[in-house]
Formats: sequence, C-alpha cells, structure tokens
Amino acid sequence: MTKTEQMLKKKPKKWITNLIFTFAIIIAIVYSFSDSRINWKRFNSVGSYLNAMLESFADIDVDFLLGTGLYRFEEGVLFLTLETLAIGFLGTLIGAILAIPFSFLASTNIVGPKFAKLGETFLIIIRVFPEIILALILVKGFGMNALTGVLTIGLHSIGMLGKMFAETIDNMDRSSIEALDAVGANVWQKIRYGIIPQIVPELSSVALYRLDINVRSATILGIIGAGGLGATMVLAASNWNWSVLGAIMLSIIVMVLVVDGISSYLRNKLV
Amino acid sequence: MVAHLNTTKYWVNDMTRFVLTNGKSITKPFNKIWIILGILIVLVVFFSYFIQYDPRYIVLSELSVLFEKLFTPRGTRTWSDYFAYMLTLKDPLISTLQMSFAGTIMGSILAIPVAIFAAKNIAKYPIIYVPMRFLMNLIRTIPALILALIAVMFVGIGVLPGIIAITIFTFGIMAKMLYEVIETIDMNSYEALESTGANKIQAFRYAVFPQIFPIYISYLVYIFEINVRSSAILGYVGTEGIGSVIKDNILYNYDRVGAAIIVMFVLILTIQFISNLIRRKLQ
Amino acid sequence: MIKFVDVVKTYSNGVQALRGINLTINDGEFVAIIGLSGAGKSTLLRSINKMIPITSGKLYIDDVEISTIKGKELRMLRRSIGMIFQSFNLVKRMSVYSNVLTGRVAYHSTLKTVFGFFPKTEKLLALESLDTMGILEKAFIRADQLSGGQQQRVALARALTQQPKVILADEPVASLDPITTVQVMDDFARINRKLGITIVANMHHVDLALKYASRIIGIKDGVIVFDGTNEQINDDILVNIYGRSLKHDEVLGE
Repeated sequence: MTKTEQMLKKKPKKWITNLIFTFAIIIAIVYSFSDSRINWKRFNSVGSYLNAMLESFADIDVDFLLGTGLYRFEEGVLFLTLETLAIGFLGTLIGAILAIPFSFLASTNIVGPKFAKLGETFLIIIRVFPEIILALILVKGFGMNALTGVLTIGLHSIGMLGKMFAETIDNMDRSSIEALDAVGANVWQKIRYGIIPQIVPELSSVALYRLDINVRSATILGIIGAGGLGATMVLAASNWNWSVLGAIMLSIIVMVLVVDGISSYLRNKLV
Repeated sequence: MVAHLNTTKYWVNDMTRFVLTNGKSITKPFNKIWIILGILIVLVVFFSYFIQYDPRYIVLSELSVLFEKLFTPRGTRTWSDYFAYMLTLKDPLISTLQMSFAGTIMGSILAIPVAIFAAKNIAKYPIIYVPMRFLMNLIRTIPALILALIAVMFVGIGVLPGIIAITIFTFGIMAKMLYEVIETIDMNSYEALESTGANKIQAFRYAVFPQIFPIYISYLVYIFEINVRSSAILGYVGTEGIGSVIKDNILYNYDRVGAAIIVMFVLILTIQFISNLIRRKLQ
Repeated sequence: MIKFVDVVKTYSNGVQALRGINLTINDGEFVAIIGLSGAGKSTLLRSINKMIPITSGKLYIDDVEISTIKGKELRMLRRSIGMIFQSFNLVKRMSVYSNVLTGRVAYHSTLKTVFGFFPKTEKLLALESLDTMGILEKAFIRADQLSGGQQQRVALARALTQQPKVILADEPVASLDPITTVQVMDDFARINRKLGITIVANMHHVDLALKYASRIIGIKDGVIVFDGTNEQINDDILVNIYGRSLKHDEVLGE
C-alpha cells in the first residue's frame, strides 16, 4: 500500500459514531411519539379550528380591551396588561435589591471560597424551585392577588440574580481598589469608589435582562391566580372564547415586544 | 416667584460651575443618575397602583400550615405510603422527559434553516433576514405555558400538546441564539469555499457547521434543561407530566403535591448537574 | 525623608525579596530604581507606603517608624504619599474628575465621602491638578475613554490632589508608546522641580532613568548594588546590576 492509502486507513471512523448517535436520537423521538395516549385524530380538525380562531381574532371587542362600557376598568385588557407589567417590574426591582446582600454572601471575593459555596448552594435551591409552585404556596398565605405575584417573582429573582451578581463581583477588576488603598481609603470608601462604579452597570444590565423574562413569567402566574392576564386567559381557553384569547394574546405580544425593546436598548447603552 | 427661580439657578450654578485660580472656568454636566432615580421612583409609584389586594386575605400562618401539609402524610397514610407514592410518579416523570426531549430536538432542528436565513453574513439581503427575525421575535414573546394552553385547545390533552409547545418554544430561542452565533464566526473559510464553486448549502456544511456544532450542542443541552423545568409545569394546563399530578391533587391531597414537588426538585437538579457537566466538557 | 534601616522582606512562600536594605532618600530628590524583574524593585517601592509590610528592620517616613502603624494612622500616612501604577489603576467607569477627587478621601469622614460631599476648595484643587497636567477639558469624560498617556496624567493629577510629599511610581511609562513616555516623564520632572515633591520611580528603561533622575539605585537579588548619580554610572556597573549586557527592550532608544 502506498503511504496515502495507509493514512486513509488510519483516518478516524467518525461516521460510525455519528450513525449510532443519529439512530439513537431517532429511536428516542419515535418512542416519545409512540405514546398511545396521543390523539392523532384531533389533527384533522386543526384546519377548521384555525379558521374559527382567525375569524374571532379579527373581531376585537374594544370595550373589553380598554375596560370601558359594560366592563369594569379592572376587567379590561389594558388594566390586566399593566397589572402584569407591574408584577414583573416590581418583582424584578425587589428581587434585584434583595439579591445584592445574598450575592455578597455567595461571592468568593467578599466572604472567601468556603462560605461562598454555602451561599451559592442556598441560591441554587431558590432558583431550582419552579415559580409556579412557589406561587401556589404563596397564594395560600397572601391570597389570589397581584401581591402574591410580586412576591413570587421577587423571591425567584433573588435566586437568579444573586448568582449572576456574585459572578460579576468575582470578575471585578482589582486595580482600582489597589489605587484606593494607596491613597488611604477605608473599607467603605473602597466600596463606594472602587466596587460600586464597576458593578452597578453590569448589575443593571443583568436586572434588565431578568425584567424581560419576569414579565413573561408574570403572564403565566395569573393562571394559578397570582394576578395578571393569566387568569382571564385560562378562563377564555376553557370556554373556547377565541376573541377574548386573541385580544389577550395580542396584548401580551405587544407588551413583551415593548419590554424587550426597552430592555435591549438600555442594555446596549450600559455597555 | 422669579426671585425664587433665580436663587435656585444660582444654587445649581454654585454646585456645578468652577472658576480656577488662573481664571479658567469649567462647568460640571448634570449628573444623569438623578434622572434615572427619578424615573425609577415614578415607575414604582405608578405601578404600585395596579397591585391591588385585600389585606383581609393575608393570613401568613396559612403558609406554615401549608408547609406541614405538604411534607407530612395525610390522614391514614403513612410515611412508607408517602415514599411509595413517589415511585408511582415514575410514569409522569417519563412523560415529562419525553416531552422535553422530543420537543427540544425537533425545535432545534427546525431552527437551523431559519437561523441560517436570519444571519446577516449568510443571507445578505435585509429582505430575507428581517422577516425571519421578526417571525422569531414573535414566537419568542409567547411563554411556553401559553403555547401549551393553546396546543391543548387544538389537539386535546396528552403528551402531544406538550411536545408541540416545547418544539415551538425551543425553535424560537434556538433560532435566535443560533443566528447570533453564526454572525460571529469567521467567514473566511466560507468565502474560500464559495470561491471554489460550492453552493451555499455545501459551503455552510463544510465551513460554518464545524465551527458552530459544539456551541449548538451546548445550547441544545441548555435549552433541554430549561424545557425539563417548564414541562414539569406544563402538566398544569393539561399536558401530561408532573404538573398534571400537582393539579389533580392540589385540592385535597397536599401530601401528594409535596411528594411531587420533591420528585420534580430532584429531577431538575439532576438534569442541571448533567447539563453543566456536558457543557463544561464541550468548552 | 525616607529611611530604610536593615530592611528585610521574606514572602510567605519563602522568597527573600529584600535582604538588608539601608537607604536614605531626602526631600526633593528624583530617584530611579533599576534592576532585573524580580530583583526587589516593586517590593522596595511598595514597602514605603506599606502596601507590602516588611518582615524585619526599620522604616522611617519623616522620622516616624512605620512598621507598627495601622488603621487610621496608616491611612493618614498613605494620603500624603501618591502612587502611580503601570496600568494607571483608574476607576474606569467614573469621570476623570471623580477619579482625581478620590485622592482626597482619606482627608474626610466616611459619611461625607461615601455621599460625595467634598469641600468646594478640594473640588477646585482637583480641577487645578487636572489643569496642571494639561487635561482640564477632559474633566467630565469617562476615564476609560482617554488614551494611555492621558490616563497616566489623570493618575498624576490624582496624586497631586493628595498634596503629597512623595510620589511613588511603579514602572509608570512601561505601558506607553515612546512619545507619550517622554511627555509623562517630563511631567514627573516638572512636578519634582516646581513643586519640590520627592519622586521615587521604578524604571524599566535604563536610559530614561539616567536621563531624568538625579539619583540612581541599582538593585540585584534584594540588595542595593549601586547608589549614586547618573554620572557615576558606566557600563560595567550596569552589567553588574543586570548580570549581563542590557537587552534591546531595556533601552528606549535614540
């Protein structure tokens, strides 16, 4: 054999692993779909459903939208949307403020590696707890209202933001703190002039990103009663009320796009 | 009134205008931080109006009662019943994993062509990539749970609506993350391939794909992790999974709800651990 | 006046950075410290404002022995000693003006400084320091938007605002391009001449050290092997300090 033919023989046979891998995935997907509980016949009616849906979507009840006429203001989509926004905004704000001390406790730079591990574990537990379950629990204590929503999002955000804040603190640039040392600054002055100017822009950026996500969560929390659009939406869905659902979905899309836009714009300015 | 305004002006000037000993003068620009703080306060006050609640409904002691109910066996059930129940949750658990897995993979695959056409450096004309991005943004605005709700309306309850919801959701996220990655890669090899006469698909397969594959898998694992979390909840609106267990039992059998929560917890932690491991190995 | 008496510094990993330093620096001198990396230049410099505490021996700043001082006394010592770093060490996201003003934090209570209340006279002082360095018009620009040379001047302005008696400089021009290097070294010379501030600088470039400093100190392996004027230096002494002929990057050129 020539040298090149020998090299060709030696070429790693990746295609075997690839084949096995693809095969495994196909099997897994087929298995997932083969669940006999799936009602494939329903798919046929999808077409007519779509038609009905689109028709009703177009027929929007303006009174319902604004909360005028026969509807009270609090029932209108406008109010509910703003309520959802409020839950997302205030929840994020509370979460961000409370996350700061927790992030200090989880940051190696501040409390050392061993204690930081403890703090981090605590934050992980809060984070893994699904928001809906947390909301279900808090509803018992605070009632089925927007307050529960704010608390749920706030608590959940402490976990999420706490971790990212701690990472920011750990990645901080130490050089300016060294200079402040040389100038004779004490601990508080070093925090005020060395640490805060560095981390506040990053923390704000992280918090804005979180706001985006939290507003979406807020729409969902309503489903179990924590205020916002969710409750009305579930009601409409179970009554097959496409026009109501359409109005709400439209509102959600607009709200999320707006928040997304503002959040992206501000985050770009912060960098 | 005018005199008052004038003194304010002098006070502000005093804070911001400096005259040095050599005669030069300089004005300090207005500190933007006050504006930001002001806006924040206005927003807080504005939004607080919408948080309406009846203080009579706040019974904090209910929380501790609830905690007890969640994590102790109810009525005549024993602790062994409690743990035995967890074993019966095996089926919903598998449903959850099935939904997440199938949905993630399909959504990720569907995302690939769309991401390619949304990347500025491959689809060079705005008329192609702008509508693609708009479509993606639209899909991304709808939370997974709502997608599931609508899917249930269309196809009934079961695993299928969950898979559909997760597919669409994954598609939205993956497409955006993917096109952002595609835009950051090194285009030199792509152009080189195009110059040898390869068409766009071939050029993509041999120049772009190898660069993004590890990142793609990393994103896939990350999204899978998110989806396991949300699919555990999707059951609440009618798909299968642990969420439906919770919904069924929330009224009377708190201890079962507690058991389900614990199982969910363990599941999510495990998946998170595994996914972190995989993603670190891919780095 | 700075006085080292038998100063020894051993790090916790066993490395002996300073092995018996005896040195007196008088007010108004412009001292350059030269030597290989790791010879002990940085340690020597940083022991003066106790950024690195010494292991044994005595160190006098204006007849005050500093090995026992700490807390508020230490901060009062440091506020009258300015320090310039190779990487400028400015607070990047703050304005130039705020950076310079931080030179005064040790002169006031915590409460006032944390809220940013400095007396108007000191605010003017900060601006005048900027003017002395020729960058007054950049006062309210973010510090990281300036060029390297300008940032080092901001650092110098910060040091000047401390109204120091001594300025320590740790390889202050090592990160700058040749032209800016000369400008900044000229600034040092000007400050030394016109304001009478003692300058102690670690210099990487030997020819710069010889050109600007009135007194050269050569360090090798933690010991002072040369202490004299720049006229007394010759190539043999340099070979002794560096253990070899000078390398290309230790001389600025022309």
